[in-house]
Order: sequence, then C-alpha cells, then structure tokens
Amino acid sequence: MGNDYKKEARRQYFKYFCGWFIAVGVLLIVVIAVVGVKTFLNNRPRGNNMAPEERVYDYADVLTDAEEEKLRSQIAKAEKKLRMDIVIVTIDQSVEGWEAAREYGYRSDDWEVNMQDLADDFWDENGYGYNKSYEGDGVLLLHNWYEDENGSQNGEHISTSGRAEDSLSIYDLDQILYPVDRYYNTDTYKAYSEFVNAVENRLDISVGFDFSNLLGAICPSTIVAFIYAIVNLRQSKAKDTTAVNAYVVGGKPVMNAQRDELLRKSVTKRHISTSSGGGGGGGSSHSGGGGHHHSSSGASHGGTSHRH
Amino acid sequence: MIYKCKNCGGNTVYSPDKHSMYCPFCDSLGSAERTDESLGGITVCPSCGGEVRLEAHTSATRCPSCDCYLILNERVEGEYAPKTIIPFQLGKETCKNSIREKFKKFRFAPTDFLSEAKLNEMQGVYVPFWFYDYDTRWDFQAEGTKVRVWTSGSTEYTETSVYDVRRDMDIQFSQIPVDASEQMPDDVMDLVEPFDYKQMIDFNPEYMSGFYAEKYNMLSDAVEGRAKKKMSDDAEQLLKNTYSGYGSMKVLHKDLQLRGSHSDYGLLPVWRYIYKYNGVDYPFYVNGQTGKIVGNPPTSVKKVWAYTGTLWACLTAILTLILTLGANL
Repeated sequence: MGNDYKKEARRQYFKYFCGWFIAVGVLLIVVIAVVGVKTFLNNRPRGNNMAPEERVYDYADVLTDAEEEKLRSQIAKAEKKLRMDIVIVTIDQSVEGWEAAREYGYRSDDWEVNMQDLADDFWDENGYGYNKSYEGDGVLLLHNWYEDENGSQNGEHISTSGRAEDSLSIYDLDQILYPVDRYYNTDTYKAYSEFVNAVENRLDISVGFDFSNLLGAICPSTIVAFIYAIVNLRQSKAKDTTAVNAYVVGGKPVMNAQRDELLRKSVTKRHISTSSGGGGGGGSSHSGGGGHHHSSSGASHGGTSHRH
Repeated sequence: MIYKCKNCGGNTVYSPDKHSMYCPFCDSLGSAERTDESLGGITVCPSCGGEVRLEAHTSATRCPSCDCYLILNERVEGEYAPKTIIPFQLGKETCKNSIREKFKKFRFAPTDFLSEAKLNEMQGVYVPFWFYDYDTRWDFQAEGTKVRVWTSGSTEYTETSVYDVRRDMDIQFSQIPVDASEQMPDDVMDLVEPFDYKQMIDFNPEYMSGFYAEKYNMLSDAVEGRAKKKMSDDAEQLLKNTYSGYGSMKVLHKDLQLRGSHSDYGLLPVWRYIYKYNGVDYPFYVNGQTGKIVGNPPTSVKKVWAYTGTLWACLTAILTLILTLGANL
C-alpha cells in the first residue's frame, strides 16, 4: 500500500511538472542550437581580402613608431576576437568653415558633417570590413588634432559599418569615445589603446554560458517559488454560514411598535479654504539611434562625434 | 434492534440516495423488517456472534465481524427517544466526491489523503442535538443621530439630526440547535450548521440502520447556555438591522425579555472522516444534509519542499536559459 502511494505521488508530481520539464528541455535545445550556430559563424574565415592590412594611420604624427606597432598588434588580436575591422586615423587639417570647404572640397562648412564624411569615405575608399569590402563589419576612429589662431578643431568621430552599425547605439558610441576624450591630451597611446578595449567590450561576440545569468535568475525565481508555497499552503477555513434569521419563525421579527421621531436638528457651517496648485513642469525628450546615415558612396554607416 | 430483509434475511440499511430502506444483498427496496430483540448491554453481535464493543453513549453501531448495523432499543426509546430526525440526504459516495472536489487543489496534502481506501473510512453519524424554542421581545429606546454634509460655494454645511428611536418587537426563535455530545467538538458542530428543517421528520429508528449514532450525553440544562448565546447574538443583530440608517446610537433603554422557552431532543446527520497523519488526527465533518465540509487537511512537508523546490529549479533554469539565449542572439 505504501509503495502504491509513493507511485501515485510520483505520478502526480510528474503530471504537474510535465509542462515545466518540457519547457526547460525545449529551451535547452534552442540554446544549444543557437550557441552551435553562432560558434560556427564565428569561426568562419575573413571574407574580405581587398582591404589594406594597415590599421593605424597617424597622419597627425601624435604616436611614436613603437606605439603604432603596439596598437597594430592590439588591434590584430581584437579583430580576431571580434571578427571586425578596427581602424584608427589621426589627421591635422581644418574641417570647418567655407575656406576649408573650398580648399579640401567638403560639402559643408560644419565640423561634424565634414568629420563624418572624411571617416566614412576613408572606410569606403579603402574597402574595409571584416566580412566584405562594402558595408562590411567594423569601426573607424578619426581623430582631428587641428589647431590654428582661430581656435581648436580637436575632436574625434567614430564611423561604424555592418554589424557594428547594427549593434552600437549612440550611448554605446559615446562610451567607446569616452577614453579618447579622457586621455588624448595626456597619454595619446593610452587614449587609442583604451578605445580599442572599449570597442572590444561593447562588441563582444563570445558565446557560451555566463554565470551572471544564473545569479540574475535565482532572485526572481526564489520570490515566485516563495509566493507559490505561501499561496498553496493557505487553506480557507469553514465559515459560519448560518443566517441571523435562520431560526426565526417567519424569517423576521414581528414589529409591534416602531418610532423614529425627530427631536432636534442643528446645522453648522465651515468655510473651505481653497488653494490652487502650480502648473505642470516641463519635459525633455531624447531621441537617437546609432547615428545611421549614408556616405557619399551610398554605403550605410553609423557614428557620432565628440569635439573637445 | 436490527432491520432485516424480508426477502433474503440480510441486514437492510437506510439509503440516502434512494430515500428508502434498502437491502444491499438482494437489492430489495422497502423490504425491511424490524427484529425487536433487545440489545442492551450486548458484547456479542446477535447476528453473527462476533464481539461488539460499545461506547457508553452509542445508540447505533456496526458489527465489525458481519457489518450488520445494530440499534440499541434502550438508547433510542423512553427518556432517550428522539422527537425528530433529519435522515441522511447525502450518501457516502457523494460526500467522498465533495471532499475530493474541495481539496483536490491543495497540492501539499499527503497523497493518501483523498485515496479511496482512506475516504472509505468515513462514517455516517447521527449526532444528538437539543433544539430550543424561545419567545422573546425587544423593548428598545435610544437617541439616534444622522449627519448630513454638503457644500455650497466655499462653505461646508453639516446638519446633525437627533431622533427618538423606539422599537418594540417580538422574535420567535424555533429549534436553535446545540449538540448534546461530549465527543463532538462544539465549534465544529456550530460550523456544520445550518440544517434545513423542512426535511426534519418524526423520529423513526429505521433511519439509523446503516449509520452510527449516539444518545444525548449532555443534559439540556447543561448546554442551554450555548443556545441562549446564539439566540441573544441573533436577536441583537436583528435589532441592529432595524436602525441601520443611523450614524450613531445612544442607548437609553434596552431589554430582551424571554417570555417562554421549550426544548426537544433530535438527531442530525453528519459524515465523519478522521484522517491520521504522523500520529495526529485530522477530523473532517460533512453536513449529511447540505454537504457543507468543516476541517482542514494536514500539510506534507516533503511535498512542500519537492513541489516548491522543483518549481524554483525549473524557473531558475528557464530564466537562465532565456538570459543566455538573449545574450547569444
């Protein structure tokens, strides 16, 4: 008899959790499949052999040769991991005002527009992109160091393409440019090295299990399990359902006499002080995406600029 | 006394489903014949000779050897003769299904709690009750206050009206039930109420065949205090219902006069299921007329941990997999 009840208890248990076990199993299969496909895609060879091998163009000459070599080495490792091209270009030329526009053939007198055009065109004309030479995956940092008697045009623009354009929001781009803003005037090499690190962090495509996901799941599931236990432990007790007139003959009392006679009445008054509240406050809105636009060659790019 | 079938000689019982005496051996209806041999002080079953243990107040029981239902004449006649009875209206199977339906969602109950074997231990018991009639009269006088508040412009007005409130009313209480059994818990018997007195009929011992029963073992005077408490609580509420429109009441005079009282003895039907778990009794009582259930099942700590733990593990796994999926897409 005892074994029968154990069997029955097991049957009830598996019947109750059948759907849950199936859900876990299906999800597990989906995760394994996704990880497998992604691993396969990540291990594909580089698809673009048209682009030059150079990744650091120091036209402004702000880096030593040794620093350039170290950056090239760092970028090579990061590219292998991210499967994206990373290009750093420094320049020292005016990109603002109509005089500069006439001299260099810019389409605008605006600093930001011209920085964007220069960055996008550099990427497109060299055919960068890890997987393909047009709209391929990668990022390019263009840092302008130009200064003259009219003021400084120092600032940088990041141009993104392909998967980098799809993945990076304006917020991500600002975070990636943040180390350049912070270190460019104290340690230029560190500024660019940290830039590469920031790109690596934001575009990490490594696959597999992240232990923090498990920790993130434990808290909500513990709360739900606790609520489940409380709800299922609660038992409604039997209530007194005997009506107050259940044992009264005829179901109600017999009223012999009933009187409700007004004895006195009084009225008091009170002045209500009113106060009106203030008006509504203002609001602000932010909009933006990854700075999507098209370059002169028609290729799609993302990007943003920081001017110092 | 024992009720036997005229056709086959088997023990006939009262069937709540068929509302008639029924022979479970030959399926005959209305074939019951009373054998009037006295069973007072018996220790052996007159039908099979098996040993029968009687409690001090038992008036009907079942022979554990031959399953024959025995009714003790001396405990249902004379001073112990009930005036009225409500025969069982719900059979055992109906009550078992009611209990299963009520507790099927309580997942943490032990597995065998709703098993057929355990529920079959359920016993139909006629519980002795005293029924009290009271002829009462309320004489009530008070000052009732009604307050009305309204606003006009920037002024708020509060009107307070005071009334002379008087009530003179008769309340006839009939058959307030109080159990007359030491064995039955009073609070549970109160919760098993109400019974529908429309099905109350003059006592006939044949309704006891097929069930267990006790004679009253608490005198009317000993339990009348509970009846008076029920009566005064109900009377108080009925009085309040007549002046519910007042915001407050300052009582000047209040008197509940008891002009007459009367009590009778009768039997009411209750199904009893005692479930034992870890050495503790968990009693359940079902109104044998209305099906109202009183009692709570025990909690299996093993089940609580197994179900909650599994739910927790499944949820954690699902959330982790979803987060992992999101991170890899």
